[in-house]
Amino acid sequence: MSRRVVAHPILGDLIEEEVIEFEFEGLKLKALKSDTIASALISNGIDIFGFSESGKPKGFFCAIGKCSSCLVVVDGVPNVRACITPVRDGMRVERQKGKGKPVW
Amino acid sequence: MVKKVQALVIGAGPAGLCGSIAIAENGVEVLVVDEGLVPGGQLPKQTHKFFGHEGFFASVRGFEIGEKLYNDAVNLGVKFLMKTTVSGIYEDVIVLYDRENERIYEINADYVLIATGASERFISFKKNYLPGVYGAGAVQTLMNQYRVLPGNDFLIVGAGNIGLIVAYQLLQAGANVKAIVEASNKVGGYLVHANKVKRMGVPILLRHTIVEAIGEERVRGAVISEVDDSFNPIKGTEKELAVDTICLAVGLQPSIELAAQAGAEIKYIPELGGYVPIRDENMKTTVDNVYIAGDLASIEEASTAMIEGYIAGYNIAQKITGLDLSENISKMKKELEEFRRGPFSGKVRKGLKKFGVEFPEGGFRTEPQKDEGPAGKLRVKIECPQNIPCNPCETSCPTGAIDVGGNINGLPYVDYDKCIGCGVCVMKCPGLAIFLVQELSDYSIVGIPYEFELPEKGEKVLLLDRNGEIVGEGEIEKIVRNSKGKTHIVYLKVPKGLEDNVRHFVRHEEKEEEIVCRCEEITRSEIEKAIEEGYTDFEELRRYLRISMGPCGGRVCRLQTLSIISLKTGIPISELESGRFRPPSIPIPFKAILKGDEKDEI
Amino acid sequence: MKYKVCIIGGGIIGTAIAYFLGKLGENSVAIFEKRYLSSGATGRCGGGIRQQWSTKSNVRLAMRSVEFFKKFKEEVGMDIEYRQGGYLLLSYSEEEARQFEKNVEMQREEGLDVEILSPRMVSKRYPYINTDGLILATFCPTDGHANPHKATFGYANAAKKMGIDIYTHTEVNGIEVKNGKICGIHTSKGYFECDIVVNAAGAWSKEVGMMAGVQLPTESYRHQIFVTEPLEYFFPFMAISFSGNFYMRQALHGQFIMGQGDKDEKPGINENVTFRFEKEMARKMTKIFPFLENVRILRHWSGEYNMSPDAQPILGKSDKIDNFYYAIGFSGHGFMLAPAVGEAIAELIVFGKTIHSDISYLNTERFKKGIVQEKNVV
Ligand SMILES: Cc1cc2nc3c(=O)[nH]c(=O)nc-3n(C[C@H](O)[C@H](O)[C@H](O)COP(=O)(O)OP(=O)(O)OC[C@H]3O[C@@H](n4cnc5c(N)ncnc54)[C@H](O)[C@@H]3O)c2cc1C
Ligand SMILES: Cc1cc2nc3c(=O)[nH]c(=O)nc-3n(C[C@H](O)[C@H](O)[C@H](O)COP(=O)(O)OP(=O)(O)OC[C@H]3O[C@@H](n4cnc5c(N)ncnc54)[C@H](O)[C@@H]3O)c2cc1C
Ligand code: SF4
Ligand code: SF4
Ligand code: FES
Repeated sequence: MSRRVVAHPILGDLIEEEVIEFEFEGLKLKALKSDTIASALISNGIDIFGFSESGKPKGFFCAIGKCSSCLVVVDGVPNVRACITPVRDGMRVERQKGKGKPVW
Repeated sequence: MVKKVQALVIGAGPAGLCGSIAIAENGVEVLVVDEGLVPGGQLPKQTHKFFGHEGFFASVRGFEIGEKLYNDAVNLGVKFLMKTTVSGIYEDVIVLYDRENERIYEINADYVLIATGASERFISFKKNYLPGVYGAGAVQTLMNQYRVLPGNDFLIVGAGNIGLIVAYQLLQAGANVKAIVEASNKVGGYLVHANKVKRMGVPILLRHTIVEAIGEERVRGAVISEVDDSFNPIKGTEKELAVDTICLAVGLQPSIELAAQAGAEIKYIPELGGYVPIRDENMKTTVDNVYIAGDLASIEEASTAMIEGYIAGYNIAQKITGLDLSENISKMKKELEEFRRGPFSGKVRKGLKKFGVEFPEGGFRTEPQKDEGPAGKLRVKIECPQNIPCNPCETSCPTGAIDVGGNINGLPYVDYDKCIGCGVCVMKCPGLAIFLVQELSDYSIVGIPYEFELPEKGEKVLLLDRNGEIVGEGEIEKIVRNSKGKTHIVYLKVPKGLEDNVRHFVRHEEKEEEIVCRCEEITRSEIEKAIEEGYTDFEELRRYLRISMGPCGGRVCRLQTLSIISLKTGIPISELESGRFRPPSIPIPFKAILKGDEKDEI
Repeated sequence: MKYKVCIIGGGIIGTAIAYFLGKLGENSVAIFEKRYLSSGATGRCGGGIRQQWSTKSNVRLAMRSVEFFKKFKEEVGMDIEYRQGGYLLLSYSEEEARQFEKNVEMQREEGLDVEILSPRMVSKRYPYINTDGLILATFCPTDGHANPHKATFGYANAAKKMGIDIYTHTEVNGIEVKNGKICGIHTSKGYFECDIVVNAAGAWSKEVGMMAGVQLPTESYRHQIFVTEPLEYFFPFMAISFSGNFYMRQALHGQFIMGQGDKDEKPGINENVTFRFEKEMARKMTKIFPFLENVRILRHWSGEYNMSPDAQPILGKSDKIDNFYYAIGFSGHGFMLAPAVGEAIAELIVFGKTIHSDISYLNTERFKKGIVQEKNVV
């Protein structure tokens, strides 16, 4: 299901943009170059970004970096805010489960 | 190395942009820092036309106002740093965190204008943690900036201006809005906004609230119920709605962290939106070189935010340059006075009085026009019953047929002799509150302001009344396109006698736990229990339960917790200690600090 | 209103003293706290509990405290997240390293289990620590940490249950002294008669002394500290270095808490924070703990160290006013000593002498003899 708003009576049609590919939980997904991780996931119909310590599903909430509801693991680094982090070509995104794992 | 600037403006919303313009106009160097993707604050998310008067962009769509102000500022030499958060005002320096380059900058400024706007309030209800429960701002950001819809069927909680506008914007983006629930017994936002969604069939359920989100992994529905006089759900009145997204629009709170870190005294004034910095009529806080403007000072409107920005900006410029700018300042103060005379500014007037800043009220026309004009003539029908600060109808009419009676808050009257039925005002009115009617011998004509995908001429449509109920069938008589303003006029042929009812149409083919602190998963009942155990201070609860110690820094839960304390202890929020606002205002990686050490230029 | 004992200060020290008084059967006791419980240094501190000290008497006092921390949950009735994850003392100077070796010898004599680790052993055991420049480290597995708020609330709740009164948001603004004896205190909620006053006012100890006309040799200095976003719990010990000037631990909840001392601080109360602190910490800590690079700083605050001239607490009775007691000047390690100090002061009040710990070497008299600095402090 695509949730992209392609035509809009006020904002006009979506301008053609470069499409990039990123990985989410092993799935190859497409996104627009201007997407954040959150908007890219939502446009692919994915609302569950991770799970809390007690196992509750988590999604985005404020979309402006203020609430930390949207933490995901990006290329192995945890605690990345999906809503304000631009998606990049080849990026590997995973659901964060509970607290992040340290990397060294 | 620490960079020095004469004036630093934090926030590139309407308040910060106008502030920077006022400062830069006088030859002072200004740096504007904003964490958003694009400048404009709330404006880029707003696809609707703004109220006010033409001097402050009435009838212009929010995102266009933002672009315009930004260009003006850039032309005056204002420097912008976007995607950069002011992460703290420390004792020694002000720190900026540049998200994109993952680094920090250190700044010292002679004067600071803080215009950080407001953040959303939230409420708790069962299973509110499920994906699919989103803030109104979040929905707007995704839908209008990133062009993705986070769901198909929406329930909106809150019928203030934001809830009403978001509902309308969702409809424009192609989503369904199943209902708007509002706990109080009246619509808090402007009626003209409410009318826009009502006539499209969105029910506004007053004295209703959300009690539970349904679903396991994400929202699959919502339980709503009626509430009693003290806003408590009434048992037995629950109803289920099949929605996949619940959008919370329950109000805003000023983003005071940075002002508090700068040392400005903070006071709880509910009329202004909660905790606000104390300031004088020149927008100066209790700290000599720190000014504020906009929603941070009081939750209001873009128009007043712009004027406050100018007032603060001219004052700063005056201090830095030694020029006498009193004329500019008093002109802006007059503007503000004009805007704030109306009933919707009542709260703000009352709140500001607590600082000793007074604004007069009244002095505008309150009696609606009775005369409906001569039947048979193509003429306007204005349905704008509230005293709101707005006058594009008056200023746009080429024949001078409309006036609001002097003060901008006055109700519009039509001089039917002068009205030629040209429709200019219909396209301009930000409230989409002006219609055209003409009674003909076999049928009547109703002209409707329309901001959706246009129908075909001659197409048969279902006619809707002010509540979105189908009242009959009609036909598209004519379409007047407005490619610039985007509010088109659709003329409908309607059965005689329905000209006073038809205000919209549809085309035939269309049709558990309550979590307060999301970071730490702390529930309302845990907080209540702790309060019962005797932890009645916010700081005590914070330490005991870890509430607001999570990565969000308490933005989501602080006020909610305070209101629970207040409810349980009977102590008004204004008398509770609000707790400290500690930097950084956004978590900064060590890496960024190290990187900031390497390079110094901005 | 009259109480036998009035305690000024609702931090860990004031509440611990009240709790032990109650345990000894004395419950005509009240705590006066001008803000809320743990609002002072206690609520802002690192929560570390260490026994590796450079003097015998300090080692003993700390070991006594550890006995209490171990049974806190059963005896006091609150889970204070106490963990004996150890303290890793890292030395970056030859001179200090030699001192550490001597200390360890003394600590072992006192019955403390302490290891000496070479840099190679450190990097083998803790692959996430960069040992560049490290000379040696010592590790005591029974050191640990706990949640200071919970400890304060634990003592306070237990004291209340024993009939002790706690007045929060009540400031003491005067001490009534007649004929060289205290007879009561003036507070923002009125006058209270009493037989004994305990100064447990932390950063404000000097001001409280002045209220009774006593000049105390304490000064308060700001100490800053911050926490990061939580990560999975994997770092069970407190890492600390005196020569490297830092300490860091991971709370059970996952965040890293860390700080350093600042030689440039001026005496006085200051609740603000500087960015310079974050910068210096970032530089230093990412070098030693490279995994921090991608971790984010979440909240930064400050509290006061109430310093005494030799960086050791001042405990006991005033030599000027007979019924005025002190438990002040903790110099940045008052949390870990609180149980033993609470017990000792309570014993002193009830029995006229201490039973379990010797604190006589910590009275004000010592400053007349000259000052011997405790070196193991950040
Ligand atoms: C849905 C909706 C509809 C509205 N409709 C209307 C309308 O029709 N007419 C009208 O007059 N008003 C309207 N408003 C209100 C209007 O948008 C606000 O009153 C106005 O935007 C306030 O301006 P501001 O500059 O104070 O704050 P904002 O526009 O909120 O700007 C604040 C800026 O500060 C930035 N910022 C915050 N903290 C930091 C930080 N630490 N570091 C860096 N940057 C930071 C933010 O990114 C933001 O860009 C509407 C508001 C909403 C939400
Ligand atoms: C950043 C930092 C890190 C630290 N890390 C550690 C550590 O890891 N381990 C450790 O053991 N120690 C540590 N400490 C030291 C420790 O916090 C203190 O030594 C300890 O908390 C002292 O407790 P207290 O009860 O004496 O003081 P406080 O907790 O400061 O309590 C004194 C109370 O007295 C009240 N008061 C003052 N004047 C009046 C008045 N006139 N009337 C009424 N009430 C009054 C104050 O409001 C305050 O609440 C640290 C300290 C800081 C600042
Ligand atoms: S329809 Fe034209 S003439 Fe009539 S009031 Fe509107 S703008 Fe004026
Ligand atoms: S009718 Fe006039 S005053 Fe009313 S909303 Fe429209 S333009 Fe504004
Ligand atoms: S959704 Fe709130 S921080 Fe990302």
